[in-house]
Amino acid sequence: MKILIAVGSKEYSGPTLRVGMKVSHAFKASTTIVDVGEKVSSFNTKVVGLAQDRMESWDFSRPGVDVLEWAFEFLAEKKFIEPKAIEAGFPKNTLVDTGGNRSEVYLKGTVSDEVSLILRNGEIISELRDEVQSHQYDVTIIGGSKKRRMAHDLIQYIDSSIFIVNNYNPDQTYKLLLAVDDSVGTSKAVRYGARVAQAFNIDVDILTISKTEQFGEEYKNAANRASKYLRRCGIKNQNIYKVGNPSEVIKNIAGDNHIIVMGTSTRSPLKKFFKGSKPLKVMENCQCPILIVK
Amino acid sequence: MLLPTPDGLSLEGYRIIIIVITALMLIVTEPIPLPAIALYILISEVYLGIGSANGIAKSFMNDAVFFIMGSLMLAVAIIKQGWDTRIALGIIKITGNKTANIAFGFTAISAILSSFIGEHTVAAIMLPIGMTLIHFTSENDKKVQNLSAVLLFSIAYGCLVGSIGTPSGGGRNVIMIDYLRSSNLSISYIDWMLLVYPLVLIQIPIVSWILIKNFPPEYNQLDSGVRKLVVQVAKSAELTGRNSVAAFIFLLVFLGWIFFSETVGLGTIALTGVLMYLVGGFVKWEDLSKNTHWGVILLFGSTISLGANIKSTGAAEWLAGSVINIIGPILNTLPFLGDLLVTIMTTVMANVLSSSATVAVLGPITMNIGNDPMHMGLVTAIASAFGYFTAVAAPACTIVYSSGMVKAKDFLKVGWKMGLVSIFLLVIYANTYWLLFS
Repeated sequence: MKILIAVGSKEYSGPTLRVGMKVSHAFKASTTIVDVGEKVSSFNTKVVGLAQDRMESWDFSRPGVDVLEWAFEFLAEKKFIEPKAIEAGFPKNTLVDTGGNRSEVYLKGTVSDEVSLILRNGEIISELRDEVQSHQYDVTIIGGSKKRRMAHDLIQYIDSSIFIVNNYNPDQTYKLLLAVDDSVGTSKAVRYGARVAQAFNIDVDILTISKTEQFGEEYKNAANRASKYLRRCGIKNQNIYKVGNPSEVIKNIAGDNHIIVMGTSTRSPLKKFFKGSKPLKVMENCQCPILIVK
Repeated sequence: MLLPTPDGLSLEGYRIIIIVITALMLIVTEPIPLPAIALYILISEVYLGIGSANGIAKSFMNDAVFFIMGSLMLAVAIIKQGWDTRIALGIIKITGNKTANIAFGFTAISAILSSFIGEHTVAAIMLPIGMTLIHFTSENDKKVQNLSAVLLFSIAYGCLVGSIGTPSGGGRNVIMIDYLRSSNLSISYIDWMLLVYPLVLIQIPIVSWILIKNFPPEYNQLDSGVRKLVVQVAKSAELTGRNSVAAFIFLLVFLGWIFFSETVGLGTIALTGVLMYLVGGFVKWEDLSKNTHWGVILLFGSTISLGANIKSTGAAEWLAGSVINIIGPILNTLPFLGDLLVTIMTTVMANVLSSSATVAVLGPITMNIGNDPMHMGLVTAIASAFGYFTAVAAPACTIVYSSGMVKAKDFLKVGWKMGLVSIFLLVIYANTYWLLFS
């Protein structure tokens, strides 16, 4: 399993990194931390590269390396990486160009094999999409953003599951809200939900929503299967059945003290573009962490 | 394409205008990579009957493309020589410790050097010097925000101001010389300097003054920063024989530009310099190849082809005529208005596209405005250097912005003032000083 954690700044990326590493350990996944810096004008990429090489010869790191260094020190402080890596410290001047707007801080074999630190430059969605596609990540973890269409772009263009760390408060007691229905993606969402619940050692509310008063047999079976799976994993859970608009119901129940886990939409891309999707509406309306499982 | 061809415009001219508009939209929005836009331009010209395949291929490659290729490769070769430490010592010895003097020194050195070796080379060399001085003054970036802006913008704007000073200052200058030559007008290296270099010298103190006024530095003296910089630079290796030979090669290139550019072309001389650096082992082909943006060279070649075909199809004359029809009566009473219009139009376009692409496309059109193609050509080439407004407008600005020590909004904050001053200065300069030569 491979997890990608996108960080952007030292001031705001702490919660994303904390949640990302907890989830990564729960999945026993290899972790890559990526910082996507400002896009460089296509006319000038090579001359900027030359200038940055010159900067490095004067012991100046490229913009973005300081964020990766902060991420490394954060992991060391919270003991997310092993002691020998912490002792070795962040390696200076080891940025290796791996091609295609991508550079890697060379950690493997010298400091740590557990995490990779990557620097990219460009438009964030485009760079994350390229990173996910070329390195086949299973989950992409990113902080919340006020940018319009960010939620839509993430769901539309990133092929992996997406975990958006919105307003995460480490002092808050959370529960997991697992939205289930009879769709194909529910079983994977349940498995992922179980791992996240184990990572945070929290209980699970299994939520089944119907637009009418009738709950079909498939819905009830899905909810029961989920409950059985979570019980086997030793996770306390309860079933909740609600009637209403799914995104509104999820928003009301989640509040600010749940981590939402749900499957991706089964609509075609064209329908998703014109009519939206439930995960998209939930992402846009809810202010708590949410994991969309693809 | 389905609309009727406008009166007075040939079918080929109409089609080339459509290619120009679509190409400009693609360059600005970048939905496809830049080299793909170059291919689009070239194949569109063939498919739409602008010229034959061989004819379009011929228009793609000329001395201007040689020069752009050569100057990008010379930049790699020169930067690898590590002359920045020598330049740093030289600046500090002349300017002393006062911040205002150092900023003026940065602007002047950047301008003078970039007028001969190109803005991107000089910005890449000067940037670490500026960053080191800032870092040695204070390691807390928040305490030196204005100082960072003053010193780094001195480098960026100094490079822009200087790049118009000689033909070798930028690819846009060589493109314009090529257009003038195709209209049977020639201008030598020295003539260009005589006409334009005083404007460079006038703008240097103005740049410095505007920057200090807009970003009052936190420190009026940089004693500690200068002292540490001198110590750091003193640690670098002594000047070797190889360094001297590398400098001598560049001197030969420079002399070649002055004395032989009219016979063999600026581009040929630039490539000769690159060959000498390669043969002498001063730079490896792998470094040249890796650091030269071949896709951009392809794009410049295709925009030059566009410009040549805008002229040959009559589209340039038609467009210029359309502009004159609108403002003709005013032009007769206020002759400098043509200069103002061309300057503003070129400045706007250069801040959106690159300066070379702007001159490549606009040059054939602006040369048909008014009665003096040489005058308008020079105005267009100079105005295309006014890329002060955004971080992406010019390589020097992009390089300085890539340091992470200035913000994008700072460019707009000071750029519009610098732009306004440059535009008015150019119009006055072109209608006073140049009269001495006409």
